[in-house]
Amino acid sequence: MNRRTRNNILDSYRPDLVALEDNLIAAVFPLMKIYPAEFCIRQAMQEGAIQADSLLIETSSGTMALGLAIVAKWSGHRLTIVTDSACDSALRRRLEDLGTKVEIVPAPAANGGYQRARLDRLRQIRDENKNCWWVNQYDNPANSGSYGVLAGQLLDMLGRIDCLIGSVGSGGSVCGTGNYLRALFPELHVVGVDTFGSVLFGQPDRPRQLRGLGNSLLPRNLEHAMFDEAHWVSAAEAFTATRLLHRKTTLFRGATSGAVWMVAQRWAAEHPKARVVCLFPDDGARYVETIYNDDYLSNNQLLLPHLPQAPRKVLHPLDASDSWSSINWNRRSYQEVMGGEATVGATV
Amino acid sequence: MGLRPRPATGVATAHYGELFQGQIEDETGQQRRCLVSLPCDSLFSRVVFRPQFTADLTIKPERKHKAERAVRLTLERFNATDIGGDVTIFSNIEEGKGCGSSTADCVAVVRAVTIALGERLSEEDVARIVVKAETSSDNTMFRRAVLFAFREGEVVEDFARPLPYLAALGIDLLPSAVVDTLNYAPAAYYWREIQHFQALVGALRKAIRTGDRELLGRVASASATINERFLPKPLFHEVKRLASHVGALGVAAAHSGTVVSILLDPRDSRLNHKFDLLQAKLRELGIHRTFRFQTHDHSLQMATV
Repeated sequence: MNRRTRNNILDSYRPDLVALEDNLIAAVFPLMKIYPAEFCIRQAMQEGAIQADSLLIETSSGTMALGLAIVAKWSGHRLTIVTDSACDSALRRRLEDLGTKVEIVPAPAANGGYQRARLDRLRQIRDENKNCWWVNQYDNPANSGSYGVLAGQLLDMLGRIDCLIGSVGSGGSVCGTGNYLRALFPELHVVGVDTFGSVLFGQPDRPRQLRGLGNSLLPRNLEHAMFDEAHWVSAAEAFTATRLLHRKTTLFRGATSGAVWMVAQRWAAEHPKARVVCLFPDDGARYVETIYNDDYLSNNQLLLPHLPQAPRKVLHPLDASDSWSSINWNRRSYQEVMGGEATVGATV
Repeated sequence: MGLRPRPATGVATAHYGELFQGQIEDETGQQRRCLVSLPCDSLFSRVVFRPQFTADLTIKPERKHKAERAVRLTLERFNATDIGGDVTIFSNIEEGKGCGSSTADCVAVVRAVTIALGERLSEEDVARIVVKAETSSDNTMFRRAVLFAFREGEVVEDFARPLPYLAALGIDLLPSAVVDTLNYAPAAYYWREIQHFQALVGALRKAIRTGDRELLGRVASASATINERFLPKPLFHEVKRLASHVGALGVAAAHSGTVVSILLDPRDSRLNHKFDLLQAKLRELGIHRTFRFQTHDHSLQMATV
């Protein structure tokens, strides 16, 4: 495929900017992760970290896998994705159709859950293959660095932006976009959306039903000092919000969009003079059998009669539990909030 | 060529730093170094060309070799190499400060020669000749705002409307030094800076499209700050702090020069007070050489076009 065609296709993944309220604009992405995927691979090629015959590997159960599969198809690289049961069959078929090898780890590790099991398998693959390169969205600076394009698009359409709200998994999108925007607007208020049982903002690690945000490790792409606020949202809240978003606006989105929308709507209502941008990372296609399936939701107690009006404000991350909670993070480091030392980065 | 060549005058204005300078990827995937100059119409170069049918060409002042090349290139462009004559350049633009003195000379020369020959040139044509004459130039030959590839002399992005009109305080942060634009090594930007430029160009588009001076000032400050890694200027950060202290729009820096400009809103009712305050504070920092200007001096343009 020639460069022009490829660029045209890449352009088709640009987000639509949709004003959901007078002061709330959603960046609605077909697939947000295509930008970091494209840039990580381009940078690796430029820096000589990979050659034409290199095997690319990554651990992902979601949209990063798809983004990489598309870009690897363009660049002609072999790609292996290590994932777990969270990778649904629809996504798996799509990845495999693009020529990606999908490896599913059968069981969580005794220590560190599925995340650890996936990283262990990743290491095995790396040991078995000489010319092998791990994309590592968690720690690769090209992930967060790739969001200059998005920042430019937001600035071109909107100009001044007062608040950025997004879900946090690797930290790439919010920290990357936030950094580029803050160079122009140092006062930009940045809000991260996480889930209970994710270590990102200081909760103890435990199995999580809400995927696509949260993490069992602290990625280097997450700059804690970027955040003014952090929110924790439960799976039931995120799924219910996703359905409400669909019914109210017809936007057919994934669970992270729902979680972000719930937080952003409240924030925008509380700050009518601020212009708020929120990021909706992927569409609802993967969730037809789950979030968009009433039987699934009620069988798993994941459908709430209504959403909380506002988050419960906590002073410490360990005080957050069960239902939507938030903390004034105040641009502090992880250590400043949690004390002690933290292990940062994804190691295999 | 039409009529017999006649004496003609050409005028071109300078700039006082760049609102933006960086590197972006164009549509074909090529990396392009580009800029948007901050125009300064009170500094200008005026060229008088007295053509004669002769092979001799004399330039005053003699040291203006780039301007001499621009004369020859313009004559070649119109197949008028049988014409020579006297070229006299009057300029109030200091050289080696990053104010575009040589571009102004060259543009004024091209304009004078073109008029003398009874010809016309588009701004794009002028840009091509000027870049050929001096290797690298700024974009002051354009009336509308453009993102200009300063080494190729091409428009990378046409903003298709003029910059909003600005007031500014020009400052030379290193009065005793000159920067040789030609021998100055081009900035080797990190990939993160190149990504950052994409964000800044997005903001530029919005600022120019909507005449948003505040956003334009923020872009200028961000661009100037990136340049500190390549050509640091003494007291730059103090000047930036001072600008934000008085509520200025931002700071534009010469990316290959020693000057900076504090940008102000010309409609500000407290404009003169802010100028006074800035100059007083700058004197406390030991900076005495400052001057007030406007990006577009309408009276000057009326008199010379």
